[in-house]
Amino acid sequence: MSETITADVADQPGATPVTAERQQEAATRKASSIEMQGLHKRFGRDTVALDGVDLDIQAGEFFTLLGPSGCGKTTLLRILAGLEEPDAGSLVVGGKTVTEVPPHRRSVNTVFQSYALFPHLSVRENLAFGLKMRGLPAARRNAKVDEIAGFIKLGDLVERRVDQLSGGQRQRIALARALVCEPDVLLLDEPLSALDAGLRSQLQVELLRVQKRLGMTFVFVTHDQQEAMVMSDRIAVLNGGNIQQVGAPREVYERPVNAFVARFMGHDNLYPITARHGDRLTTALGELTAEEGGEGELLLIRPETLDVLPGEVEGRNHLQATVAERLYRGSHAEFRLEIGETTLQATVNNRGRHLPDMGDRVTVVVAPEDLVTLSE
Amino acid sequence: MRKRTLQRGLTGFWWLTVAFLYLPLAVVVLFSFNASNSAASFSGLSLRWYRRLMGNEEILSAFANSMVLAITSSVIALAIGCLIGYGMYRHRHRKLGWLIVLIYLPIVLPDIVFGISEMAFFVQIHDWTGLLQPGLGTMIIAHVTFQIPFVALIVYSRFVGLDPTLFEAAKDLYATPVRRVVHFMLPTIKPALISAFFLSFTLSIDDFVISFFTSGPESATLPIYIWGAIKKGVSPEINAIAALMIGAVAVAATISLAFSRRRLT
Repeated sequence: MSETITADVADQPGATPVTAERQQEAATRKASSIEMQGLHKRFGRDTVALDGVDLDIQAGEFFTLLGPSGCGKTTLLRILAGLEEPDAGSLVVGGKTVTEVPPHRRSVNTVFQSYALFPHLSVRENLAFGLKMRGLPAARRNAKVDEIAGFIKLGDLVERRVDQLSGGQRQRIALARALVCEPDVLLLDEPLSALDAGLRSQLQVELLRVQKRLGMTFVFVTHDQQEAMVMSDRIAVLNGGNIQQVGAPREVYERPVNAFVARFMGHDNLYPITARHGDRLTTALGELTAEEGGEGELLLIRPETLDVLPGEVEGRNHLQATVAERLYRGSHAEFRLEIGETTLQATVNNRGRHLPDMGDRVTVVVAPEDLVTLSE
Repeated sequence: MRKRTLQRGLTGFWWLTVAFLYLPLAVVVLFSFNASNSAASFSGLSLRWYRRLMGNEEILSAFANSMVLAITSSVIALAIGCLIGYGMYRHRHRKLGWLIVLIYLPIVLPDIVFGISEMAFFVQIHDWTGLLQPGLGTMIIAHVTFQIPFVALIVYSRFVGLDPTLFEAAKDLYATPVRRVVHFMLPTIKPALISAFFLSFTLSIDDFVISFFTSGPESATLPIYIWGAIKKGVSPEINAIAALMIGAVAVAATISLAFSRRRLT
């Protein structure tokens, strides 16, 4: 802990890229893994927030807890922070069991959704608060605050009052205030949800860069699946206090394990499989050939994997459809197609070719390898 | 045109109200500078009554009693009321109906009922134990009792106005329970504490009824002294004391108001 990573990185001017070895070195020196086992949490008599959560987070990982409100993601984060105690289960951070360690003795810091900057303190005093509570002398506190201010590029914000800051500035101060403590794990509770879209995507990139440069373990909570996919090394999708799926963004998006995950990741094209003969699956759309028959009782067709051809073309996995709706979005167009009584969403990249109009008869081509079966 | 008349009428009404509130006070202040003995005629400015005050042992002792009473009771009420205010905040999600009534009751109870109850209670305790001889001690206890609700409510409303996550942020940033109080809670509610102190101080200086019932022979405060003195007629000296009290209370109330207006972002 004597020589610090923030210091090392901050010594370099501007956004000098850190070498791979350096990142590796940082990761081994600083980051901690997290192991959760059988975490249960109940509020009152009948609100189950966590219903037995087992989860391993690797050192240096950008890990996201994703789910709708009330799914337990925030409770899980609060248990990691020590702000909530689990009813059952154990929590190990960096090889040490911390299940019952109070928050002020955990080397874990949080970026709160409301930022929670102390209104009675200046920005500098806010940044130094954690260090002061840890008993660091004033000179070293100031040096560390200046380092982190350089690293996050806070500039003259450090000398301002909290009430003079905009939302985006507060967010970055809250991040810096947590990072300056050099925690084993950084927790982020929907830190970008209060910001407008432009600033949000800018800060997403910034946050990601900070994490990669520090190699610190980040646990990020969000209900926004786009944000989760952009930021994360791995995502855990939660619902009703249970983990539904853990995986890399592509895995969770392209191979959801159940209907909840599929719907939450934004998929609408889900069809019950009414009959199957080997790799031939029958749904309301008709008969389709998949690469593998699979086991699940639902068929997922991602809109962006479909080819939409003008007119009626015969062939294997060719479906005849009518355009019921067309949403032109510039870079691409979204179609709502009708096949008999059933609707199918299709996204077509705008390569400047003909885009079918409402009422046009079209042919939808489904590649067998893009069909995914999953359970209800 | 009509609107204008109405506006003028309302403006006139406003000044009438102000005059109604402050004219009597102005008369007292003016006559405290009266050069003559008569309360009926004003015959030039003079500070003789103020000079006379300074030489009057009885008045000086009453002034000292008032100050000791006001400051001591305010400090004690601040400490207790602050804890109650925090407790109310911490348990705000529970059903606190009857507890809130208990806190509010002393505020709405008539002073005379409060004063008589306190007196009866102190006399009873004194009979049994020999403690609580009427005097400054019993007055301080009585004053603390009616100041506590005000302090508790001011502190409570300050806490309610804070982002609850701040308490968690303090924990998260390694502050032990004691350090949370010293480095987060007390500095954050400091304006409320200053406001509550000066409000308590003003209430104590103002109070006559409760002080009257709980005082002893040696512990007359300024209001009690005035009450005794005017039985012999209103002297210009009394005007001078009143003028000084108006000044003191105005300053304390202004400070209290200034700090209660301070809002957090």
